[in-house]
Amino acid sequence: MQPMAAQGRTMGVLDRLLRSGPDGSTIFAGGLLIFLAVIVGAPAAMVALMSLRTGFPGEGGALTLVNFIRVYTDLSTYNVLLNTLLFATGTVVVALIFTVPLVWLLMRTDLPFKRTIYVLLTLGILIPVFLRTIAWILLLSPRIGLVNQWASQIFGLDHPLVSLYNLPGMAFIQGVSFVPGAFFMLAAAYRTMDPALEEAAYTAGVSKLRTFFWINIPITLPAIAAVMVYLFMTAIAVFEVPAIIGLPARILVLSSLIYTSTNPPTGLPEYGVAGAYGGVMLLAGLVLAYFYVHLVRQGKKYTVITGRGYRPREIALGRWKWPAMAFVMLYLSMEVFIPFLVLLWTSLLPYLQLPSAAALSSISLKNYRTIPDYTGALPFINTAILMVAVPFCAMLLSVLVSWVVIRSQVSFRGILDTVAFLPHAMPSILLAVGLGYLGLAYRNIFPFYGTIIIIIIAHTINWIAYGTRTTNSVMIQVHRELEEAGKVAGVSTPRVFLRIVLPLVAAGVFNSGIWISMLSYREVTMALTLYSRKNTVISTVVWQFWGSGWVPEVSALGVILVIFAVIVVGALRIGFSRVGEVGSSV
Amino acid sequence: MIRIKGLHKFYRTRHGLVEALRGIDLEVEEREFFVLLGASGCGKTTTLRCVAGLEKPDAGEIEISGKVVSSPGKGLNIPTEKRDIGMVFQSYAIWPHMSVFQNVAFPLIKGRKQVPKHLVSEKVSRALSLVKLDGLEERPATDLSGGQQQRVAMARAVVTEPKILLMDEPLSNLDARLREEMRLELKKITRSVGVTTLYVTHDQAEALSLGDRVCVMHEGEIVQIGTPQDVYARPANLFAAQFVGEMNFIRGKVTGPGQVDSPLGRLRCPVPPACQTGSEVTLAIRPEHLILLHHPSQGSEALEGKIASKNYLGDTSLFEVEVNGTALSVKLPGDSDFAVGQQIVVVVAPDRWRVYL
Repeated sequence: MQPMAAQGRTMGVLDRLLRSGPDGSTIFAGGLLIFLAVIVGAPAAMVALMSLRTGFPGEGGALTLVNFIRVYTDLSTYNVLLNTLLFATGTVVVALIFTVPLVWLLMRTDLPFKRTIYVLLTLGILIPVFLRTIAWILLLSPRIGLVNQWASQIFGLDHPLVSLYNLPGMAFIQGVSFVPGAFFMLAAAYRTMDPALEEAAYTAGVSKLRTFFWINIPITLPAIAAVMVYLFMTAIAVFEVPAIIGLPARILVLSSLIYTSTNPPTGLPEYGVAGAYGGVMLLAGLVLAYFYVHLVRQGKKYTVITGRGYRPREIALGRWKWPAMAFVMLYLSMEVFIPFLVLLWTSLLPYLQLPSAAALSSISLKNYRTIPDYTGALPFINTAILMVAVPFCAMLLSVLVSWVVIRSQVSFRGILDTVAFLPHAMPSILLAVGLGYLGLAYRNIFPFYGTIIIIIIAHTINWIAYGTRTTNSVMIQVHRELEEAGKVAGVSTPRVFLRIVLPLVAAGVFNSGIWISMLSYREVTMALTLYSRKNTVISTVVWQFWGSGWVPEVSALGVILVIFAVIVVGALRIGFSRVGEVGSSV
Repeated sequence: MIRIKGLHKFYRTRHGLVEALRGIDLEVEEREFFVLLGASGCGKTTTLRCVAGLEKPDAGEIEISGKVVSSPGKGLNIPTEKRDIGMVFQSYAIWPHMSVFQNVAFPLIKGRKQVPKHLVSEKVSRALSLVKLDGLEERPATDLSGGQQQRVAMARAVVTEPKILLMDEPLSNLDARLREEMRLELKKITRSVGVTTLYVTHDQAEALSLGDRVCVMHEGEIVQIGTPQDVYARPANLFAAQFVGEMNFIRGKVTGPGQVDSPLGRLRCPVPPACQTGSEVTLAIRPEHLILLHHPSQGSEALEGKIASKNYLGDTSLFEVEVNGTALSVKLPGDSDFAVGQQIVVVVAPDRWRVYL
């Protein structure tokens, strides 16, 4: 009986679809959904598949739970899970300690130099985390670190003063790196809060401090919680800090374990084991993503957009202005200034040494000149390809998806939106491992293993979630009636899209395309996991230099990477801000 | 009682310094309902926010109940939370993380006038029954309709029994029908509480129906202060005449005492003493003060014209009448039986004309 009923229902749905006629936009949306589901689903499916198989990718054999049994009966696994948990928690705590006061200072007070601070925070996102980590190692490594060298010189210490090679050190560096992202998420939530909510408390005779605790904090709590969950979800999956600090210190977390299982320094790769670890990570990612979406929705209930253009009155910091500025400077130093200065100093010297007369006399640009000899042109060409292809693919898909989600009446548009959001929950290391497995096991239908194309695909999938979020918000701002007016004038749907929608969203799409281009430029986790000699990019070159212990060359290349990011951010501020304004006024 | 003397306020904008208030002087009597009326950007909200202490004036003095709260000249500015006021915001500003009860109780628990615990729920109930929200105490604030939020905001503003109640366009976010209903209720509530009210609006009907006195503002200055009848019947200048109610305007020239030549012909009207013979003036008359007749009658000044259009609105009909090539708008009862194209006579009582330089 039951199968019959189910079949009947399916037939009913089909019937309705057919009777409603082969609507052009439904067919298009259906095709888009299938395509997206495949490219987003395939890596996850591959992770599941590899966890159920033994041997090399492509070797058939029956599905088995042997990997899970092996991994989860091993006590060291639980040690790794605990490390992951501690690392993620520590990271979130560090990030929030800096983020919450920063948001309050920049959004509500009369702190000076706000614009400059914004620019530096943006820059902070674009400096690759691994470069910052390397710079901090150069400073705080127990053996070679400048601070410890200096301490042993001055105090004659025979043991290092401080060391970065422990869980708190890892959490600290990662937490500091999360601050700009968290800042912009929280600031957006703060901006939508009606300042009259605060003013109402003042007029009710409630003091400023009480208002902060009883009105501001509770109202922003869902947003802070959402940011916390988001950071936690990301911290569980990050790879750079755990690899650069954690691996030498033998402090393993899930991501570094997955990486070493598939790219072991010696022996054969064990995809099955990586899959078994990845399963937990994927599950955690999905659960946390669910919570995140839930909390964001909760937070939206609290935001009231007023028609009034009143800017909230800024709280005068008075004599607290300079302590507040010192706090901001402390953060910015850790995030941008110190790492950059360390890299710059090291890049000019033949080997890592403390500032001294001798060191100053040996300063030269030799490390910069020799870089092309080691790298050749290929990494630069490949990086350029990534920076053009990834934003193009990601934004093209995003615009099409958003148009269906926001504009069309297609019944399954909600599902399409969810599928486009899923990559947020998918740790990038798993995405890359899954794609790599696909390329190895199914070479004949997916012949991209070891090419730059597989990195383009990985990056595109990874940033489609971000891309669709921004195109959704841009598309909402284009009033539906603008499109309807086009249709009433007798213009076909594809033409309306090309001639009316696209020009109106172009500026916004362009802006987030540039952003994705820069994220792709600084990305290393996926590029490294999918690495081959043919598809090497600048970030993987830095990684390899570091692995070989070429400290001055790493620093020189790092300085070049940062300077390029500075130029792009500067150009964005100056040249494209006008384009951006056009987009936002639509 | 609110007393404002010589209030000035500057804003720094991208286009330089803008003077939002150019010397505001006014006095609101004890228990009076005082309305600030003006177009957006006229400074009415800035004035209100200065009284609330949410905005700092640059010069002048504000006194609430005989106590100076703001005097930049003396370096004095009592913060909002220490002023004895209640305020209703345009967006209502209902705290979304609290229930109705918590919203109204918050000023009593955390505010300036804290009351003993056992009195809190009694005072809250009284405030809520005043705005007819009895029984909704436990409702989360996010589950309220616009009208209900408005009522909660009212209850919250009066629960501490402040001396002064400030309202910033509280009805502008409601739909038309609800707005009229709330308007009547607002008046009742403030009457029964007996609070001195300063009310900001851009809606002239609201101002005329609510205010004991109305203050018309324009570009940071006060144009006229008077009772609603005063402001409507005798606008102080051309701007007030344009802004409050409908008016017909006709250019003319004074030709003698109480006599103006206009495109309509020679008219008898109350020419102010400041206007000398030969000066250019603008005549103004309200559409409802023009009378239409089918035939000329004896004894009154009559202008011959033709009905150009008719706009039937149910309770009234608006006619456009052409007299000597000048269009006049005339408001008559809805059932008036004049037809388009008909020749008619317009009759004006001379003392209905307003004459402005």
